[in-house]
Amino acid sequence: MAKTISVTLKVWRQKDAHAPGRLVTYQMNNIDIDMSFLEMLDIVNQGLELKGEDPIAFDHDCREGICGSCGSVVNGHAHGPEAETTLCQLHMRRFKNGDVIVIEPWRAEAFPVIKDLVVDRSAFDRIIAAGGFISVRTGSAPEAHSVPVPKENADLAMDAAQCIGCGACVAACPNASAMLFVSAKVSQFALLPQGQPERRSRVLKMVTQMDNEGFGNCSNHYECEAACPKGISVSNIARMNRDYLCAGLTSA
Amino acid sequence: MSFARGSLLSSSIFRKQLVALTGLVMVGFILGHMAGNLLIFLGPNIFNDYADKLASLGELLWIIRTGLVISILMHIYFTAKLTRENSKARRTRYEVYTPSADNKFARMTMIYSGILLFCFLILHLTDFTLAEKEGAASVLGAQKLRLFGLVWNSFLNPWRDLVYILAVCSVGLHLSHGIQSFIQTIGFNHPRYTPWILKASVILGIIVAVGFSSIPVYVMVRQHTIGY
Ligand code: HEM
Ligand code: FES
Repeated sequence: MAKTISVTLKVWRQKDAHAPGRLVTYQMNNIDIDMSFLEMLDIVNQGLELKGEDPIAFDHDCREGICGSCGSVVNGHAHGPEAETTLCQLHMRRFKNGDVIVIEPWRAEAFPVIKDLVVDRSAFDRIIAAGGFISVRTGSAPEAHSVPVPKENADLAMDAAQCIGCGACVAACPNASAMLFVSAKVSQFALLPQGQPERRSRVLKMVTQMDNEGFGNCSNHYECEAACPKGISVSNIARMNRDYLCAGLTSA
Repeated sequence: MSFARGSLLSSSIFRKQLVALTGLVMVGFILGHMAGNLLIFLGPNIFNDYADKLASLGELLWIIRTGLVISILMHIYFTAKLTRENSKARRTRYEVYTPSADNKFARMTMIYSGILLFCFLILHLTDFTLAEKEGAASVLGAQKLRLFGLVWNSFLNPWRDLVYILAVCSVGLHLSHGIQSFIQTIGFNHPRYTPWILKASVILGIIVAVGFSSIPVYVMVRQHTIGY
């Protein structure tokens, strides 16, 4: 028989964007430790629905750690206590029998709560729309060898491009700053030849949009890096800082 | 004051870089100041000579002082603004929040260690810089020892020592986060050097706290026995 545990959940319940929310306690017994965290929440919701109550709203899609949909703050850790792991990839064996598990939504003015654990992350989309792309003529893919890329840059760009835009960096930052996300998106282009023509205007536009969305300022706490399920490095933030300084001082 | 949207001075990154640059100017000053203060261990003549040399810099001293005042005002103005914006960026706090990165206490208290060291700075300036250096307070063992005597006498008071030590510890705390933060903010991060920079920042913070504290501790230990 599979090993099971009992846990006490305290889940943030909030009817809609305007209603005040509060933590509601759910006692869960016989939780199979091989279940994922979201499967455990599915069980909670099944119980709630059978009782005719409103299920807990939470975001999820791929459930394999690649889409960036899921994410809640679990006992004060964005995506829970497991390093470099999305909430959907967290398993109940990470918890002990009798644990109290507090589950809260990402907290940031720029990420308003829509319902329960679901927040509106469209601020990230607007930052991308402000410059997180390359303007090129469409057409067939060019011959790969026609644009040489140093191996080191290719690796760093791939590391930055691992960002799934989940927002854990904002959630974990004491200042609710979005610098890790934005710097990863800036870096993946800044490191590659294709990103060079728009390198300066891109960083200026994306940072301006980031500031306008009401995220906090970076104080180099590095909580973002510790929380990131993809291990995005704060060296991307340093790269964005220097790109921004150069671009800001040299553009009219 | 508010700056035009999208202008450099309204940008989160550029303002942080001004905080970092002004912080660096003050770090340079603090390290120089500490080196000068430590000359007190070499006795009244060398210490007073050093003070006289500084005073004889004339215009240059005023240029340095003006630079420092501008730096500190800019630093305070922008950090106050940043701190206010940061608390506005998350109005609803977490019920449970578990920070996990290093040097947590120093990071979370930058504004408080900053305010503390600023209050101290004012006290310090009135105590030593603006004080009368030839008067009764400079007399030590029937000798007029000028600035040396003034400093020595003031550190004979244990309350003053306590305040001074607390204040220089808050400088050390501020710098243990501040120095590496400065380097990251201006845009330097390297897989080989950054781990060392993080350590060096904490070590420098400790050196500053211990270095400045050593003077009142020395005076307390020696009391009236200055055997020069
Ligand atoms: C006078 C009162 C002071 C206040 C209120 C103050 C406040 C602050 C605050 C809140 C920060 C963090 C800013 C952020 O990251 O968002 C900071 C950073 C810093 N402070 Fe101060 N500070 C003061 C004085 C000083 C002094 C005297 C020094 C130097 C000896 C100094 C050196 C630094 C450095 C190097 C940083 C890091 C800059 C960066 O983040 O890159 N500060 N200060
Ligand atoms: S649901 Fe896709 S990353 Fe978790």
